[in-house]
Amino acid sequence: MGEAVLQQGGVEVVGAAGLTREDALRALDRKRVLQTRSAGRWLRLLWLLAGPGALVMLGENDGPSMVSYATAGATYGIGFFAPFILLTFLMAFVVQEMTVRLGAATHRGHAELIFQRFGPFWGYFAMGDLVFGNVLTLVTEFIAIQAGGLYFGIPPWLSVAIGVALVVCSLALRRYATWERTLMALAVFNLLFVPAALFAHPSGAALAHAVATWGPLPGGITNGFMTLVLASIGATVTPWMIFFQQSAVVDKGLTTADVGHGRWDTGIGAALAAVAAIATLVAAAPLFENHVDVSSFASGADFATALRPLLGSTGATLFALGMVEAGLVAAMTISTSSAYALGESIRHRHSLNLGFSQGRLFYGAAIVSTLVAAGIVLIPGAPLLAMTLTVNVIATLLMAPALLLLLLLVNDREIMGRWANGWRTNLAGGTIVGAIALVGAAYGVITVFPDFLGK
Amino acid sequence: MIHDPELASALEPGQLSAAAEHPLPRRKLGRGVLGLLILLRVYVVIAIPIVGYAFVHALLTPQ
Repeated sequence: MGEAVLQQGGVEVVGAAGLTREDALRALDRKRVLQTRSAGRWLRLLWLLAGPGALVMLGENDGPSMVSYATAGATYGIGFFAPFILLTFLMAFVVQEMTVRLGAATHRGHAELIFQRFGPFWGYFAMGDLVFGNVLTLVTEFIAIQAGGLYFGIPPWLSVAIGVALVVCSLALRRYATWERTLMALAVFNLLFVPAALFAHPSGAALAHAVATWGPLPGGITNGFMTLVLASIGATVTPWMIFFQQSAVVDKGLTTADVGHGRWDTGIGAALAAVAAIATLVAAAPLFENHVDVSSFASGADFATALRPLLGSTGATLFALGMVEAGLVAAMTISTSSAYALGESIRHRHSLNLGFSQGRLFYGAAIVSTLVAAGIVLIPGAPLLAMTLTVNVIATLLMAPALLLLLLLVNDREIMGRWANGWRTNLAGGTIVGAIALVGAAYGVITVFPDFLGK
Repeated sequence: MIHDPELASALEPGQLSAAAEHPLPRRKLGRGVLGLLILLRVYVVIAIPIVGYAFVHALLTPQ
């Protein structure tokens, strides 16, 4: 049976075992996976099973994340933040690996599991956090798209309109596998920050020294430094990532037999994203060396403009293009994460394999959230850079309760069986929850008492 | 309508969209877990307004 038959007329497909269109498309993908596994082709299998991990990691290298890394590089150089970014991606891997197991073992999305296992009280809290964080983050993705466009002289309304149109076009694919591969192809351009960094002629010795010593840290620990620490954590571990990857694992149809490849997918995604993140830090470091004050920058476009005399026109152009890509891919993944979570919460059908007639609510939620975010960005005089950094701080603060729910679910042996967490993963997960809560508390203290650490 | 049992066999029963119509049973949360969940909720309720304050303060403070 060919795929064309399945898509004929966009009608509901029902097989002997009661397959819906969504089921049948997923079954086609699974059939390929099973055939490849029985042929013993490991790399081909990795290619077929890759996607959720790579997309979540490169998707989280989004507009606000890249602006956070650039601000860190321009304010503090590479000293402390290069190793710190590596650590945050290690944290991200630990967290996201749990979502792979959870999705593969239960075949249910994250919101679905929270509602069913812990009840609607905690379910609505988790959804409230997710929606709040997602709407704010989606706004900042359009800030990045707009900022990148401004660098090339494109008016904000046009950049934002093109961004919205591309998000809607990606949803119009109505096929998870096609959507995933399209986004993966786009996400590769996240690595544009690597050649941009090379134009800064970075010193390998300085980078190695920074990773080994976590220094230098000019100016010491201040309120601004703590904001950037929180923003950098929020740039790598956020609630939408947990919800998105688990839903994507389920929509793709991963089973427990695929967990090993799911881990590779997540690990490779984390490594690529860490490279792009550190490259952004390195690319912006010449601003620090030349004492350029970035506090008055209105958006990511100002970074590209300020970097032009330091990196050259090509380097600055790559930086601006990278910003556009970062915003665009994240806008596609985050809007989809909201749509998945909404469908799971109200037990409505939720899949990128749905046709439009069955998936009105799913696609509608993604499109409406995109339009709302795009509209907010076009408000004249909106403080875009301040919003961008604040969104990452909020994401970090919302992460602690989200992580606790994740740990509870992944330790739930009734649903996880032998795929439940071992003590090592629990220790790592518990440490991450504690560390994030403590850094957030420290931020609160120095915000309320600004003289606590000196100016 | 397509009938293809071979294709259907590529999916585990739990992967069928119909499986989602059967919710998992509710889990009873212990006191310790409930306490932690409430503690982190209070943490978020306190922390978010602080971030809001810091955001507004930064906007109103001249550079």
